[in-house]
Amino acid sequence: MDDNLTFDAIVVGSGITGGWAAKELTEAGLKVLLLERGRKIEHQLDYETEMKAPWEMPFRGEGDADLYASEYAVQRLNRHFTEFTQNHFVNDAQNPYQTGEGTDFTWFRSYQLGGRSLTWGRQSYRWSDYDFGANKRDGHGTDWPIRYVDLAPWYDKVEEFIGVSGAAEGLPQLPDGKFLPPFALNVVEQAAREKIMAAWPERRLTIGRTANLTQEKEGRGPCQSRSICARGCSYGAYFSTQSSTLPAAQATGNLTLITDAAVEKIDYDPKTRRVTGVRWIDTKTKTRRQATARMVFLNAGAFNSVHLLLNSASEAMPNGLANGSGVLGTHIMDHANTLSAAAIMPGFEAWTTFGNRPTGAIIPRYRNMDKMDGIGHTRGFSFQGGALQSTWTAGKREAGIGAEYKANLRKPGPWRMVLVAFADCVPRASNRLTLDRTKFDANGIPQLHIDFAFGAEEHAALAQAKADATEMLTKAGGHVIFGFDRPGPGGTAIHEMGGARMGLDPATSVLNKWSQSHDVANLFVTDGAQMASSACQNPSLTYMALTARAAAHAVSLLKSSAI
Amino acid sequence: MTGWSRRSFLGAASLVALLSSAPGGAEVLRKLDPKDVPSPHMRKLMRTVAELVIPTTDTPGAGALGVDDFVLVALAHGLEGTRKPPATDPSFAPYLRADGSLDHAAWLDGKLGPTWLTLPPARQSEQLAALDAAAYKGDNTAAPWRAIKALILTGYYTSEVGGSRELNYELVPGRFDPKVPVTPDTRAYSSDWTAVDFG
Repeated sequence: MDDNLTFDAIVVGSGITGGWAAKELTEAGLKVLLLERGRKIEHQLDYETEMKAPWEMPFRGEGDADLYASEYAVQRLNRHFTEFTQNHFVNDAQNPYQTGEGTDFTWFRSYQLGGRSLTWGRQSYRWSDYDFGANKRDGHGTDWPIRYVDLAPWYDKVEEFIGVSGAAEGLPQLPDGKFLPPFALNVVEQAAREKIMAAWPERRLTIGRTANLTQEKEGRGPCQSRSICARGCSYGAYFSTQSSTLPAAQATGNLTLITDAAVEKIDYDPKTRRVTGVRWIDTKTKTRRQATARMVFLNAGAFNSVHLLLNSASEAMPNGLANGSGVLGTHIMDHANTLSAAAIMPGFEAWTTFGNRPTGAIIPRYRNMDKMDGIGHTRGFSFQGGALQSTWTAGKREAGIGAEYKANLRKPGPWRMVLVAFADCVPRASNRLTLDRTKFDANGIPQLHIDFAFGAEEHAALAQAKADATEMLTKAGGHVIFGFDRPGPGGTAIHEMGGARMGLDPATSVLNKWSQSHDVANLFVTDGAQMASSACQNPSLTYMALTARAAAHAVSLLKSSAI
Repeated sequence: MTGWSRRSFLGAASLVALLSSAPGGAEVLRKLDPKDVPSPHMRKLMRTVAELVIPTTDTPGAGALGVDDFVLVALAHGLEGTRKPPATDPSFAPYLRADGSLDHAAWLDGKLGPTWLTLPPARQSEQLAALDAAAYKGDNTAAPWRAIKALILTGYYTSEVGGSRELNYELVPGRFDPKVPVTPDTRAYSSDWTAVDFG
């Protein structure tokens, strides 16, 4: 392949937002190069473990603990990491990063075509003006340059394309979307919803809004209720790059896809004040390559997009590309996440379920909305969880051997219900990404260094979440057996974001309201890096909506020769 | 491939064959320390123990299925946290590996004593039940048993027989029913991954 590759646009990263950028830009007629640092994974063909039973796996689906300890020390902590899915996560030993003193950060990554769209939790929520207005209201961080009204039509577009199942609830804090029919609450959750709502009308237990199809959609089959999504889904029933945006982009004939391409630098021309292209390392041949384009979209994942901007420092921009403000890398966030309460739920022994629902239930934020009723915090928290029965693994915790023990494990176990809190993480300058100039990765690129700690606000929110969860599960008839008010390490929620925040003022933010660099007009960052606050709901749907919106704006600028 | 745990083995050579035939077996084998290859005595001990935990009833038991093979490989590879240094107890000293971890199989052998395998099944069961009870009452000297039992359960309920005959297995349910009556014949699903992970 010749190395005088020239495109209208280069998209770095093929995950949730990169796929969207590629789709939108190619559908607008642009010639697009999509670069992915990881290997190619073909939809359907390469989901190698999808149909395997545990007895067909060397370690029965549990995986090789020795191998995980030495090479997947972080990734193994991911909720979706199993022997079936380990090939959809990075090898930590081969992809190191550094953390500052006092920082405990679990950075979950998937370096492959489709990125984390293959392994994501699929929860899809709109943000509201409680979220876009949060920074302005309490003074943490800087104000968002957009409000819900700016994003609403783009949420519509994204939901209609990816397919989101959910129940409309009419809640101002969690706007309803264009939903496919919802999955049902199970018998215990339905009873809990009614009891909780009777006691606290503002607390609405509802089914999770998930990017799993409940109806066939444009060549994608409906969800089979397997709940093994992270293995890859040949039905195409959940949204991933492979099932959804990549085929759309490829159908235009305008897409060039190159995998195994670790982007090292973005080229910047100080004369024109434009980026001119990118340089990458072909990780298979260890050769350096480059391409030019009229604009660049960064969709490498929040931290890696920031990493790339920092590593693209030049004489003209010594502190990092697009970092005239000096805030690049700062104000990173992740939801403070913990299991607030778990309860035994007696009274439902006559009932069980069939099938594996690919979503839990949620209780959207209800604190600090129109009334400031948070204790020690000014923002929100929400719950995800649901009711479940135990099975044979409960036997590990129980005394007993022999025929009776075996007979007991044959039946579905007692019902339990759990509420897991996700608390808004306020943006702080001290939570930041830098380059470690003394440690390098396998490609010779400085490693990312993460400094991160939760503060008083998040701890206070989780304390209140624990108390609230306990009273709700008790009201629902449960016996609470345990709960926590300390957050897991940063990264636990897998909602790491920020570092190249959007804002009104070029002196205090990296991007404008179009996800476009204040400093470099043909550079867009449309993944989680652009976030100026974290809200307390899952952010991927918002990233997608912002990406589609930014792409439309970029196309209009390109067509009017403004960039 | 069909349920490798059901094969019978005569010694280490067949364990090697077992691992080589499993998907990724070569990788498993590469990491198996030669000194972790179990002796015939250890295999017999673990098979007997496994059968006592999950005995043959109207479905085969864990010993009959050869779950001991999985347990011994799993112990060698540190599943259930068995390669982490154990809670300090002087009685573990003879069974510690160079890395400080407890050789659980050797510990169990020592704990049950040299004549245990020769006892009548009822006596074996009594003694194992006593060890089990102590482990779940918080007796530190019995604590490692919990990991061994956990691996017996894993080996059994993730085998084809344990997972799909003793329990139900449905990889592709095709639908979600939120409220299904429980009957005397209702069996749990080994493919209820949420229950497996969090139940």
